[in-house]
Amino acid sequence: MTYEFKLADLGEGMHEAEIVQWLIDVGDTAKLDQAIAKVETDKAVVELPSPVTGRVSEIRVKDGQTAKVGDVLVVFETSAASSGDGTPKSSETPAVATSSAPTNMSSVATASSQSAPSVAARPRVQAAPAVRKLAFELGVDLEQVTPSSASGRVSLEDVRAYAERAGSATSGAQNGASTAEVASTAAPKEEQLAPSTSPVEKKVDQAGTEDQRQPLTGLRKRVAEHMERSWRTIPHATAFDEIDGGALITLRQALKPIAEQRGVRLTYMPLLIKLLIPLLKEFPIFNASLDEEKREIVYKRSYHIGVATDSPEGLLVPVMRNADRLTLMEVAAKLEKLIEGAQKRTLALPEVSGSTFTLNNVGSFGGGSGTPIINYPEAAILAVGRIQEKAIARQGAVIVRPVMPLALSFDHRLIDGAMSGKFLGRFKELVENPQQLMLDMV
Amino acid sequence: MVVGDVTTAVDVLVLGAGPGGYVAAIRAAQLGHHVTLVDQGPPGGTCLNRGCIPLKALLSSTERYYDTQQEELAAMGIAAETVSFDWPRMQAWKQSVVDRLTDGVRRLVAGNHIDYVYGTGWFMNAQEVRVEGEHGSHRFKFDHCILAVGADAAGHPQLPYDGERVLTPEQALQLPELPNTLNILGDDYIALELATLFGRLGVEVKLYSPGEQILAGCDPTALRLVQSGLRKLGIQTATKTAIEYVTDRPVVISQGVSPHTAGLHLDAVGVNTSSNGGIAVNAMQQSSVPHILAVGDCTGGRALASVAMKQGKVAAEVLSGQRVQFAPLVTPLVVHTAPEIAMVGYAADEATQAGYPVVTGRFPLAANGRALTLGKDNGVALIVANADDGVLLGATIAGPRAGDLIGQAALAIEMGATLTDLAEILYAHPSLSEVLLESAENALGRAIHILSKG
Repeated sequence: MTYEFKLADLGEGMHEAEIVQWLIDVGDTAKLDQAIAKVETDKAVVELPSPVTGRVSEIRVKDGQTAKVGDVLVVFETSAASSGDGTPKSSETPAVATSSAPTNMSSVATASSQSAPSVAARPRVQAAPAVRKLAFELGVDLEQVTPSSASGRVSLEDVRAYAERAGSATSGAQNGASTAEVASTAAPKEEQLAPSTSPVEKKVDQAGTEDQRQPLTGLRKRVAEHMERSWRTIPHATAFDEIDGGALITLRQALKPIAEQRGVRLTYMPLLIKLLIPLLKEFPIFNASLDEEKREIVYKRSYHIGVATDSPEGLLVPVMRNADRLTLMEVAAKLEKLIEGAQKRTLALPEVSGSTFTLNNVGSFGGGSGTPIINYPEAAILAVGRIQEKAIARQGAVIVRPVMPLALSFDHRLIDGAMSGKFLGRFKELVENPQQLMLDMV
Repeated sequence: MVVGDVTTAVDVLVLGAGPGGYVAAIRAAQLGHHVTLVDQGPPGGTCLNRGCIPLKALLSSTERYYDTQQEELAAMGIAAETVSFDWPRMQAWKQSVVDRLTDGVRRLVAGNHIDYVYGTGWFMNAQEVRVEGEHGSHRFKFDHCILAVGADAAGHPQLPYDGERVLTPEQALQLPELPNTLNILGDDYIALELATLFGRLGVEVKLYSPGEQILAGCDPTALRLVQSGLRKLGIQTATKTAIEYVTDRPVVISQGVSPHTAGLHLDAVGVNTSSNGGIAVNAMQQSSVPHILAVGDCTGGRALASVAMKQGKVAAEVLSGQRVQFAPLVTPLVVHTAPEIAMVGYAADEATQAGYPVVTGRFPLAANGRALTLGKDNGVALIVANADDGVLLGATIAGPRAGDLIGQAALAIEMGATLTDLAEILYAHPSLSEVLLESAENALGRAIHILSKG
């Protein structure tokens, strides 16, 4: 029996994933739940577990290619005895396969079907002549192109998209005058007239003066797309303020040794998250998003706080789910795990998606302050800068206080300047008087 | 023309004005090049002047004549009692067709502002060609050169052509007098068409095939129809014939062609040739010297005008900086026997050998309304598809206008169409094209106009 392993619905509006690396080869036998591939989605690299025990007969989506939800990634040959394994076990890995009915191998027709050939012909890439022409022109190997349609036919658009993705890597192939290897056309068998030219890449021997071009891939590409979408869609406005951080420092210093005794490192972030929650409850528009299609404001009932984090490959926003239901200690412990996961790129999908409000500790990156870009489709993002001693004027006297800069970017379609001012004012009050948290403590 | 050793700088120089050469010249001119086209004769090359077109013209006139001799005509209520033919006038009509076409190509060449030079050219170096013509010698310094010099009948080393007793197919078409007997040696479409042509005129024809069957690579079902068609014309056929066995004369030898590259001085410019003498080219038609390209029969590939014309366009586009290649999936092949037979892609056994799971469909013309109303119901349509996904792999049609019908099958294969695609579209009724519909539906197990097996 054959078993086609398809890319499952990833949720959160994610429609595709990139196969970073296959951990198996054609001909290998994979055990149920054995990790068979590393897959990168918008937010994380995850390992795909094998849905069945069986021999790998075909890998459809190659390393580095992007698969869409529903695409067959790999085909297994399973023995009839083990076909009971055909139902994929649920797994904590987010990108588990949907079960797909084994394909019926019987012949489609009643007419003569001849003895099975010993060698299987390589299936032809289904592409119209104009598509094949374009592929050659753009230096695209049709075998590498993933068809976008369910019928498996490669379209002009598929070829263009592939060429764009391949980008500058194949720019040498676009040189029409390139000297292709000379192959004798003596007695060509028509069906074997595959494109035989492999254009010789022109070596640019001008290193140093030429701009270096690198294709946008992986996380960098996703960050870029996400930022573009946010910036294009949301009319951003940013409000600035400064907070006296004295009380916050005192509070942290009081709690830090106790937390350490319990094995948790207490930074300012858990404190800020806890201080943020009552604020979001008080100003629900900041924990909302705009449903652009229906033109409705969606007020979120859950409080999932995104925490902008640096990773070796770029920005990641791990999500503190249900932060309102966690104690300060739990928030601190969870945050430590999330940041570690972000740096190792081992976060599961729920840990990197679905935030309702994002907090960006610019200070932790070494920045004084900055204007944050909203984590689409949220309504606002708050950036806190590094706490630094500053001379401020208070009651006619200049005093030195630890000051923390704030920058609040908000979706101006939903929130006005006055509202943002109130939000920042209330946040300031809370941070400067954190004991107020006690008032509403359960 | 100036007599003497004068060098003219040209942009694109095309040697040979056959289907490959004149098409390349026109496409290059369309792309803005200044083109010089060289041939020792009128444009059109072998195909138009001496090969396909004269052959098809004579096949048409002999078919018309032969059809009047058949009982079918009487059955239709037509009495044609004093029908006769005049071979010299047949030849003259053939020539009028050739002249009309040649004139048409000449106008196209002139209309595209292409300089036409009569003569024969060879390389002096990688930038220059000397052309020896009736007006003396001329040197052309070119930026790009397209070689489209064609091929000659290959013949057999033991039986050299002498133009009287041992003939090339071209010579057979120009025989001033019709022979009483004619022996034909060959297993290609030319041998079969010559046999058909002369057989229709009452010449006693013997057809000797060196191979296992009278037409190499043809589906056996369709081949049987061709064989019985030849038998009906009184043509004797023999297969696996050694050349020594053919002692009767005159004999026409059709053993393919050999590239006409000998006098070009290719070695002087470093243009490589393959073992059969053909100019080695890549899929972009470039030779081992990239600014010298070659198309058509002189590359040693399949000697078909359809191939040469497409390659000519590719060559012209490549030298204009476009990235294109000659890469059709399939090549339609037509044989004007009785019945006419046309093939494209894989025959069933070829597809099986290539490793495909195969499903086939067939439909006899005897069940096609249009074929019956034409009085030509001798034929069959055969279709070959991949059993896994129904994608069309090949088709063979025997019957009237098979060569025109095969175009639809070729398009279907190139587009990656499936049996279902063929079965879903509408076909005019009654029409011969319905045989594709019915054979596709037969492969799907649901043809209407024949009873499905099992």
